[in-house]
Amino acid sequence: MIKKIMQGILLMILWFPAMVYAQSIVTTKHNLSATGAGDVKASSETEICLFCHTPHSSRPMAPLWNRRDPGVIYTLYTSATLQALPGQPDGTSILCLSCHDGTIALGSVISRAMIQNFKGGVTTMPSGLSNLSTNLRNDHPISFLYNASLAIADGQLRTPENIIPPVSLKNGKVQCTSCHDPHKNLISDFLITSTQNSNLCNSCHQRTSWEMSSHNTSAKTWNGSPPDPWPFSPPDFSTVSQNGCENCHRPHNSGSDVMLLKYQQEENNCLDCHNGNVASKNIAAEFNKSYKHNVGNYMNIHLPNEPNQVFTNMHVECVDCHNPHAAKNLPALPPDVSGALSGVRGINQAGTAIDPANFEYEICYRCHAGSPGSPPAATSRIIVQNNVLFEFAPTNPSYHPVTAIGKNSNVPSLISPWTTSSIMYCTSCHAGDGSSSTAAPHGSIYPHILKLQNLTADGGTNATGTTESPSAYALCYSCHSRASILSDASFKEHRKHLQQNVRAPCNTCHDPHGISIMQGNNSSATNLINFKAGIVTTSSSGQLKFVDLSGNHGQCYLTCHGVNHNPHSY
Amino acid sequence: MFAQVINAQTIVGSKHDFSAQTWNTTGEICKVCHTPHNAITLPDAPLWNHQLTTATFTTYSSATMNATVGQPDASSKLCLSCHDGTVALENFGGNTGGTHFLTGTTLLSSDLSNDHPISFTYDAALASTDGGLFNPITTPSGLGGTINANMLFSGKMQCASCHDVHNNAAGTPPSLLLKSNAASALCLTCHNK
Repeated sequence: MIKKIMQGILLMILWFPAMVYAQSIVTTKHNLSATGAGDVKASSETEICLFCHTPHSSRPMAPLWNRRDPGVIYTLYTSATLQALPGQPDGTSILCLSCHDGTIALGSVISRAMIQNFKGGVTTMPSGLSNLSTNLRNDHPISFLYNASLAIADGQLRTPENIIPPVSLKNGKVQCTSCHDPHKNLISDFLITSTQNSNLCNSCHQRTSWEMSSHNTSAKTWNGSPPDPWPFSPPDFSTVSQNGCENCHRPHNSGSDVMLLKYQQEENNCLDCHNGNVASKNIAAEFNKSYKHNVGNYMNIHLPNEPNQVFTNMHVECVDCHNPHAAKNLPALPPDVSGALSGVRGINQAGTAIDPANFEYEICYRCHAGSPGSPPAATSRIIVQNNVLFEFAPTNPSYHPVTAIGKNSNVPSLISPWTTSSIMYCTSCHAGDGSSSTAAPHGSIYPHILKLQNLTADGGTNATGTTESPSAYALCYSCHSRASILSDASFKEHRKHLQQNVRAPCNTCHDPHGISIMQGNNSSATNLINFKAGIVTTSSSGQLKFVDLSGNHGQCYLTCHGVNHNPHSY
Repeated sequence: MFAQVINAQTIVGSKHDFSAQTWNTTGEICKVCHTPHNAITLPDAPLWNHQLTTATFTTYSSATMNATVGQPDASSKLCLSCHDGTVALENFGGNTGGTHFLTGTTLLSSDLSNDHPISFTYDAALASTDGGLFNPITTPSGLGGTINANMLFSGKMQCASCHDVHNNAAGTPPSLLLKSNAASALCLTCHNK
């Protein structure tokens, strides 16, 4: 019995130091002595504190520092939207950099005349994640004053007094030690609190709409197919929510420099999850299709503070249409933006910048409302209009009902639930093809990123021209009943024009977006009539026009397939 | 082996053995600091024989230090009577006109801002406030008792909390330490890092 008690006491004595050191520098990589836990350590020196501290003749005085100032000029973090003014590293940060910039031998301390030898011939910090180098452009900014005015200027930072402990400022500045405790490695990377669920980052950063966003809340996991979407975050973070900020960002050694993204190629930060391996829809596959918003074509062009209307440096990136800090799974009805488009800027129908956009088309207008270099109208027509905003103005004589309920109250072909009171999205037509696509214009096998086929080659006697069929005009027929159209329920000569000898595609007579009030009126430009140039030419009297006589009656002045309408009345 | 142990525990042969120094015309070891008679009266000054410093010291400060550091007092002031470089080494036994002063790494000067703070009260309250210090009342010093019992003087940290001026046993390089600092054991006696 006594022996057992003695054994117990002995065990406690042996165990006690281990318990103490569990939260101690002794068991961490920062124990650079020969007894250290990491691979980088001294050959024989056993003192631990020595590599950073000295009790006498320290430099700088506090915290009794034992290492030289690197005395180098660092390249600092910068970005288009950074409100903070990072200076050259100072305070505790310059102390950290006296090892972590890789310029000074780890064993070089003020209190010893000789440099301490390290195992394996190591002198300065070996290259790798711990060696930040003197280029800090790809590291979270440090040594900047974080005051109330910075929080106000940034708009998405907590005020200094509301920073969540244990994160803290050092003499009013963010320093390495705001996030790291060099003496304790309780979590990983000497972090003072976990990054799980964006916990550490949220101590200062307060992103608008982030709280409810999918990237903050989603419990989706990775299916294990390469590539690993989370190669840099702790291995036990298994959901989107747990990875939080680290789904896209890296505080050190970022791939992008600006915005501290994992990868320099912007879309790669999205597509390593949105490839069917984490998020359910495979957006990456959409960008392999022939017709797409080709985000892969551009790099380092998009700026978060670029004007709402993109007028120069034309480009498209995922974040031009999506706000990864706000996007969420929330359906909406036209014309309202859905959750996926939440928190994105736009141009409203009045042509005014709006943030955030309320209606989906406002996001499309960022580039498709007269921006130079935006795609011209798909079809060359008699009335030429390349500005989509003008094509969809509710004052127009006719337009597909994207911005407001349409003008024509007599559309017998509409398939339920569509009615003449319906409103539709741009993405009702422009979206990915196939059932695995999203209702969004990422990419399609069909030109103009249309979700269904809409052939436009003129028929007539041309053997290679389009022959009317359910699939030839599948896009139009998805809302407008083919049976109704071919029964001439509205225009009495639909069947004749679509089939028989004429074989004219829908596109030859109809301009699907709309005709601007500036270029047409209620007698000349109703029913989306705007003839295709080249196919439809002037009549024998030199006229080329449509006249609406109301009640499914009208006149056409034109020549088509050698037939002269001068006019043809119906 | 036996002789080594004996020598290791005495001032003889240590850096504080000044018997062979040219400026020590007495050739004695103890007399540079102590005298059996007519000693200088000062609290914590054991039969003191060396001229005292009158310097005003710049003390250590830092943004995160919770200790209140005053002017060096008690035994620390005796150490500084050589190590601040204001009083000549041979100014003992009533001498005042000495010309030999400390140089090099042992010269702390009267600017102590780059030296570990001394002459501050180190109690349980300080340990609690700091969060990175052990409670001196309950924590073993490794020298047989608690930090407070073995290393503090009237509850204060002084030079002698780390240094044993008579004993060169511990420490490489020899810094007259109270206990070995191998594996930073001396630092980690108080610092909970």
